Amino acid sequence: MQEKLAEIFMDMFQDNGLSAPDRLDPDLHLRDDLNMDSLMLAELTVRVESEFSVDIFEDGLVETIGDVVKKIEGHQQS
Amino acid sequence: MKWIIVTGESRGVGKEIARRILLEGTYGVIGISRSKGAEVEDLQQLGGDRFVHLCYDLDDVEGIKTLYLKKLKPLGVLYGFVNNSASAYDDIISNLRVDPLEKMFRINVLAPMHLTKYVIRDMLLNKTKGSVVHISSISAHTGYKGLSMYASTKGAIEAFSRNMAREWGARGIRSNCVIPGFMDTAMSASLTDEQKDRIYKRNAMKKETEIASVVSTVLFLLSEQSSSITGTGIHVDNGTI
Repeated sequence: MQEKLAEIFMDMFQDNGLSAPDRLDPDLHLRDDLNMDSLMLAELTVRVESEFSVDIFEDGLVETIGDVVKKIEGHQQS
Repeated sequence: MKWIIVTGESRGVGKEIARRILLEGTYGVIGISRSKGAEVEDLQQLGGDRFVHLCYDLDDVEGIKTLYLKKLKPLGVLYGFVNNSASAYDDIISNLRVDPLEKMFRINVLAPMHLTKYVIRDMLLNKTKGSVVHISSISAHTGYKGLSMYASTKGAIEAFSRNMAREWGARGIRSNCVIPGFMDTAMSASLTDEQKDRIYKRNAMKKETEIASVVSTVLFLLSEQSSSITGTGIHVDNGTI
């Protein structure tokens, strides 16, 4: 799962001309550290949903990479 | 194949829009309406595997997520969405009743907003520079006795469209409205000839708006020919000025 998620992030950084971090640390903040704007977060939502069948922003706050991972893991366990 | 959703494709303007898209040949049409299928047999024959009819009541706003995930997404990539379906609850304001008003807002406003949500998500996922066209109404721009409630649903959709254009323009996704004048369709069937005459006299050309002209404008706004047009509306109303 982590690998697939990393692939989604790297694709998006490339598409949007953002510099990718050396590693996807769970503490990295999507907006503040990775400079993702609301449209990029929307794109992240649909890509993650398509891959993992979970809408990460549907309920509650998702701010960091760790939050995204938790949402996916929570869905996979349910 | 890329698809264009047309709601209310079983009759009137919606049917003609679906027919013209199929004749034009670039895209497939996914028709969404309450029709069980008999009314769209001719579209099925015309389009073959380029036409899919989904029987769905847009009054069920909550079900649209499932409609997208289970029925629309598996068909393939969405290129466009024509929000044509609408219900009309006409009365003077002093007679306003909440239930039919809420139902009309669900069908005319909430359902197309929800559908737009999934259309945009699909376009984001597939990097589609798509086009959304809402069928509005001249009643949102000039006043008619008895149409204030219906007109307000169309005003809401026009505002939604304009702001959507702003929001998603950077991704190449466009949104526009076509604003027809009064046409001779089932939507205006309850009007008497005298009422129709009075309405038609209010436009420069003194007659009803031609469906074909409305449909051509919708096809134009869907097509690449209108690639620099977004966030606006085109009046097709015989000059209701």
